[in-house]
Amino acid sequence: MTGRVIVITSGKGGVGKTTTSANIGTALAKSGYKVVLIDTDLGLRNLDLLLGLENRIVYTIVDVIEERCKLKQALVKDKKNPNLQLLAAAQTRDKTAVNAEQLKDICDKLKEKNDFVLVDCPAGIEQGFQNAVAGASEAIVVTTPEMSAIRDADRIIGLLATKEEITSTKLLLNRVRPNLIKSNEMMSVDDVVEILEIPLVGIIPEDTGIITSTNKGEPIVNDENALAGKAYRNVAQRILGEEIPFLDLDEPKGFMAKIKNVFAKLKVKV
Amino acid sequence: MLMEKGYVENGFIIDLSAAQNTTQLVGELNSIIEHPDVKQKNVCLKLGTLDLTQSQLLSIKALIESRNASIAFIDTSSEQTEASAVSLGLIISKVSDKTEGITAEIQEEQEDNYDKIVEVDSGVELPSSSPIETTEGVEDIFEEMSAQEISEIIPSESYERTDFGSLAAQEGLLPTEDSSKYILLDTGNVLPEGIEENSSSTSSLPTLYLNQTLRSGQTVNYDGNILIIGDAHPGSEIIATGDITVWGILGGIAHAGSEGNITSKVRALKLNAIQLRIAGLYARRNDTLNVPYVQKTDEFTPEEALIEDGRIVIYKKLRRD
Repeated sequence: MTGRVIVITSGKGGVGKTTTSANIGTALAKSGYKVVLIDTDLGLRNLDLLLGLENRIVYTIVDVIEERCKLKQALVKDKKNPNLQLLAAAQTRDKTAVNAEQLKDICDKLKEKNDFVLVDCPAGIEQGFQNAVAGASEAIVVTTPEMSAIRDADRIIGLLATKEEITSTKLLLNRVRPNLIKSNEMMSVDDVVEILEIPLVGIIPEDTGIITSTNKGEPIVNDENALAGKAYRNVAQRILGEEIPFLDLDEPKGFMAKIKNVFAKLKVKV
Repeated sequence: MLMEKGYVENGFIIDLSAAQNTTQLVGELNSIIEHPDVKQKNVCLKLGTLDLTQSQLLSIKALIESRNASIAFIDTSSEQTEASAVSLGLIISKVSDKTEGITAEIQEEQEDNYDKIVEVDSGVELPSSSPIETTEGVEDIFEEMSAQEISEIIPSESYERTDFGSLAAQEGLLPTEDSSKYILLDTGNVLPEGIEENSSSTSSLPTLYLNQTLRSGQTVNYDGNILIIGDAHPGSEIIATGDITVWGILGGIAHAGSEGNITSKVRALKLNAIQLRIAGLYARRNDTLNVPYVQKTDEFTPEEALIEDGRIVIYKKLRRD
């Protein structure tokens, strides 16, 4: 078995790389695939928190590289889904503890026994980024509909294009707010795709549920009712090659929904 | 219900020993302290056989203090009330019904409390009409108190503790009770090769004294004991070959006896470590207690973690070797 190694990157920080990694990983594992998530954000790790696995981490990627443990020992199984495993970053070290060659080696080993290896990339374009993309053959660029994030995403897409190993680069647009797009205060999905000129793999609506899910250590894809959770499940399906239409993020149009909207607007005014 | 004047200077005896329950007691006390005479008096409370908790006694104290009076001492035949009074720093003494006048030998309270100094002149001659007697001198009282304190610290059965042995067996099940604060990880013995378990005393080791907050990503590694005055935030790591003591909130990883010393302990004012490691045993905090931020709180419950019978157990009280 040779699995797919996908790096999740963005350039800019705070756009949702880690959230995306945790959710896509969980969604793929729920569909029955064997998934390993690698946190390469050494010194600023968060992926373990989002998955609620912080208390289970004994060995980190640095321990593997420095041969204090075997790769298998460092993989932390998810609480709910044994198909999902995490290779945590070291919190007490920095990016220089690892080099691209070593990370590629780890990715190569992991993809032999797993369907997917998702690499959560740190922000920036320095060593950390170079490490994270080293073993990957596909990339998902996460961005938000803001000029600064798009500018950084553009830079990242350019850098990814120079990597021969990366055969596919896709865009995931995060924190989309349909009502702002409607009132022309936010760039539309089409605008962003037009600027970045890469295929879209997902549109994730802004969802306050993300905050609570992060705090609880429970990815939002586990919440059947959350819109963002559904959007992430759709991304996973698209990664698996299915054609899934993008979610209609416009406000609901039925009669009752309209009434609800009126109330919602009143509430805002109050 | 009696209201008797006499005994200590500016003193008052309030006899509530007839009260059947707390409500009755507070009711009576309320009606008595309404009396203008009570103002600014040293009140001697007779509480009889009624069992009072610390908080009940505290509210009684507050009630009396609301009249600008203070409690000189408490007369009770209930062990529980006595214990509560001792923990509040109140003096226990006896008021007897004998009619002859006796000398009360109460000196200034030594272990003083912030708000109240009981000033009682030693050797106050009591009027012959006064029905008061102190059957025990102050020294006796203090002896009794210290004996009690010791007995509170020592009894081995009274420790609240968490048993990881049986919990480890339940690994995978969602624990329903708070008793499962830490759960042993299924890592086996994690000691590096070439290092063997030992049980030498940690008290002879040197100690690193740190007066700072440990933040995420910071590591302290020391060959000896570590004492931190401050919090250790989640993401920090404390590794000592001996004991680890955190005078603050311990939220990161703590590894005591990192070179195999199984007598090492981890103690903190608030033991909230994401992982506890002692020698080769690793335990993770229960998922139900996972909070991604440090809870700053005034309600500290100091705890101590140590190895017992091959498990990590947590005690709510300190133990000497």
